[in-house]
Amino acid sequence: MPGPAQRRPGTAGRPTRRPAPPRRPAPQALKLGNPRPRLRLVSLGLTLVMLTFVVRLLQVQAVDADTYTSKAKKHRFMSVELAAERGEITDRAGIALAASVDAYDITADPKLFTPEESKSPNAPEQAAALLAPILGKTPAELVSKLKTPKSRYTVLARRQTPQVWNQIKDLKSVYTQKARDDQAKGGAGVSVLAGVLQEPSSRRVYPNGDLAAGILGYVNGEGRGGGGIESMLDKTLAGKDGELTYPQSGGRRVPTAEGTRETPAVPGSDIELTIDRDIQWAAQRAISDQVRKSKADRGYVIVQDTQTGEVLAMANAPGFDPNDLSQANTTSMGNAALQDVYEPGSTAKVMSMAAVLEEKVATPGTHVVVPNRLHRGDRLFKDDIDHPTWYLTLNGVLAKSSNIGTILATGQLGKTQAEANQVLHSYLRKFGVGSPSGLDYPGETAGILASPSKWSTSQQFTIPFGQGFSINAMQAASVYSTIANGGVRIEPTLVRGTKGPDGQFAPAPAPEKTRVVSEQTARTLATMMESVVGNEEGTGTKARIPGYRVAGKTGTANRVDPELGRYRGYTASFAGFAPADKPRITVYCAIQNPTKGSYFGGQICGPIYQKVMEFALKTLKVPPTGNEPTRLPVTFKPGE
Amino acid sequence: MSATAKQLKGRAARLARLMPAGPSSAARTPFVLLVVVLLGGGLIALLLLNSALNEGSFELSELKRKTTELTDEQQALQRDVDDFSAPDALERQARELGMVPGGAPAFINPDGTVRGDPGRASAEPSSSASADPDTTASPSASTTASSSQPARSAAPGAPGSPTGASPVAPPADRQASRPAADTEPAQSADRESVPAAMSAPAASTRVITELAKPTPTPPGR
Repeated sequence: MPGPAQRRPGTAGRPTRRPAPPRRPAPQALKLGNPRPRLRLVSLGLTLVMLTFVVRLLQVQAVDADTYTSKAKKHRFMSVELAAERGEITDRAGIALAASVDAYDITADPKLFTPEESKSPNAPEQAAALLAPILGKTPAELVSKLKTPKSRYTVLARRQTPQVWNQIKDLKSVYTQKARDDQAKGGAGVSVLAGVLQEPSSRRVYPNGDLAAGILGYVNGEGRGGGGIESMLDKTLAGKDGELTYPQSGGRRVPTAEGTRETPAVPGSDIELTIDRDIQWAAQRAISDQVRKSKADRGYVIVQDTQTGEVLAMANAPGFDPNDLSQANTTSMGNAALQDVYEPGSTAKVMSMAAVLEEKVATPGTHVVVPNRLHRGDRLFKDDIDHPTWYLTLNGVLAKSSNIGTILATGQLGKTQAEANQVLHSYLRKFGVGSPSGLDYPGETAGILASPSKWSTSQQFTIPFGQGFSINAMQAASVYSTIANGGVRIEPTLVRGTKGPDGQFAPAPAPEKTRVVSEQTARTLATMMESVVGNEEGTGTKARIPGYRVAGKTGTANRVDPELGRYRGYTASFAGFAPADKPRITVYCAIQNPTKGSYFGGQICGPIYQKVMEFALKTLKVPPTGNEPTRLPVTFKPGE
Repeated sequence: MSATAKQLKGRAARLARLMPAGPSSAARTPFVLLVVVLLGGGLIALLLLNSALNEGSFELSELKRKTTELTDEQQALQRDVDDFSAPDALERQARELGMVPGGAPAFINPDGTVRGDPGRASAEPSSSASADPDTTASPSASTTASSSQPARSAAPGAPGSPTGASPVAPPADRQASRPAADTEPAQSADRESVPAAMSAPAASTRVITELAKPTPTPPGR
């Protein structure tokens, strides 16, 4: 048997590798094979393997590290957006006018309501019957949502209060318990409400309903400002959303693992308005009642503090309820007091009078002979009533609101009519006509005032008594505040300041002040305006407040119908301030297109002025000055 | 060298010589115990740490839930408060109590003189009153007023007021408590009449500051 041994001498010592066991004992001198080549081979192999590992390691850890880290993070970490709380809007006393509260969107998974999943032929109907009274919807509406085919998500009701969700939760637990009992008895064991879920959301509430809605505006579906202050100061109110990142496993947070990062949300700032809630209410109430009673298109009331320019109330009628925009009429959703532009009529005569007095072309006692008709330019002008020739003082022209008298007086402003126009225009501009009021309110109008060179033949004579140019209610109120404030115009303000998340109050920048007329002129004008209300011949007797000296001016203007583009209907207005000798408050009221009852400013706006002013005086505790009013003569006897 | 070692030859023998010979003199038990204690202690500490963290997270979620619950409740209560304190609601409640809006305000000076024209308030014949179903406001208000007349006197210093009530000064203590009254001498006389004529609930209303005013003939007017 030397064959195998000869053939494979090196393997003689390895019996296992032999095809057959040796029949004889091994040769005596056992020659060991050289292990070196094998070892080299093995170590080479190992080195190669190690090298592969190292290369791969370098690739994973160094070269492509970022890719893999981000890939891992995507699965390992979960990010949740932390919604910032929207700031409140409060009145001047800090009472919330708009606030954000927690809410839930009630959602459902329609798949869980299919007969296969719910093991019930009419699960949507059952669930709808249970949910309808809680959500305040009709069962049919809910059923159609729950039956949405091939969907796993549907919103049943948006922005429900936590109490609503709690009710549903209780109901759900009752049904889950029932299902468990049923399962124990061998039934299907599926709760009909298993597919009803919630999503946290937030809701903007306006605790006072339609109060000051025009100013506040509203928020849209995404919770951003959609109008008014909400949109004007949206960035300040909104704050900054935060983010929470945490390690997760199977969709749940791992509390022991590291790597939780949290960027806290920065809540929005609170806005404090200059509005006084109670005065706003009184104003809104008064104007809404009158607009309804007169069957008018709309009306506005503005209450302004004459000493600071702060707007205490700005009411529109008809208004809307920002809590329920689905019911709101889109035409009444703006802030008409700032966005409507109209011809002011006689309330603008005070500007003409201010110009006449300031230019010293007349005094309150100057005699003006007012005929029944006056021919100027291409037209025959008349007063609101036919009258025999009136012998009025300048004071009487204002008290009786004579158009002809005003044309005659302002004619004296310049040597020629063109010069007079120039002077009047400069005063109108100084009073703020034709430029934005300074509130920076969205959609605010600047009014329309042509330059004097472009005034038409008739415009030169109508502008002195308030026709032929347009303003908004805020501008009109500001004119009166200017006179009340001794001739210094203070830009109206609506925002007192903001209160940041740290509770620090930052006051709004001080409003701009400009002198329009001298203090003397302003005081004289105030006395003249007292005759409008105080004198029996005046047009504003309905605005009297017992015990107080009241200055005011009525206005009944021809209204430009926005649809027809020509005069149709009237704009009734009343403006004034009190106490006349130490003014504190300006109230302006205007009613557009009253169609029932009187349309005279003194008749329908006078009482509103009286009511609102009385309320404002009480609220602000403004005492009467106790001085006897100076009674300037209204008429004179011809020949004196 | 043991017998086994002698049997080995070559490399194996050399390796065998490296092994420690004979039993070790060091005590083995304390070392083993130390290792066991270290390992076991580490494990237990880890366990405790984990469970503490877990418990913390349970507590956290529990407290979070509670916070949400309390916030919800607070917001719901705030809503109720807002509903009650809205100017509209206050006005309605005041009318139910038989109150009517007062007219123009009048003020009593510290020296007893009156500023303004005080007059009897009546249910206003305005549209707001007609819109309200509260047509009984007027009579009830006036009865309240007349019944309270003796309680509230004329302004101090009113000689021979028609009711003949003694000239006590109801606003005096109020004014004394307010130093501002000196600089701003005017103080709403009407506000003072509210507690006198009506008990507590009336005083809390902010909107309707006046009740039917039983002020007699004002002095010096």
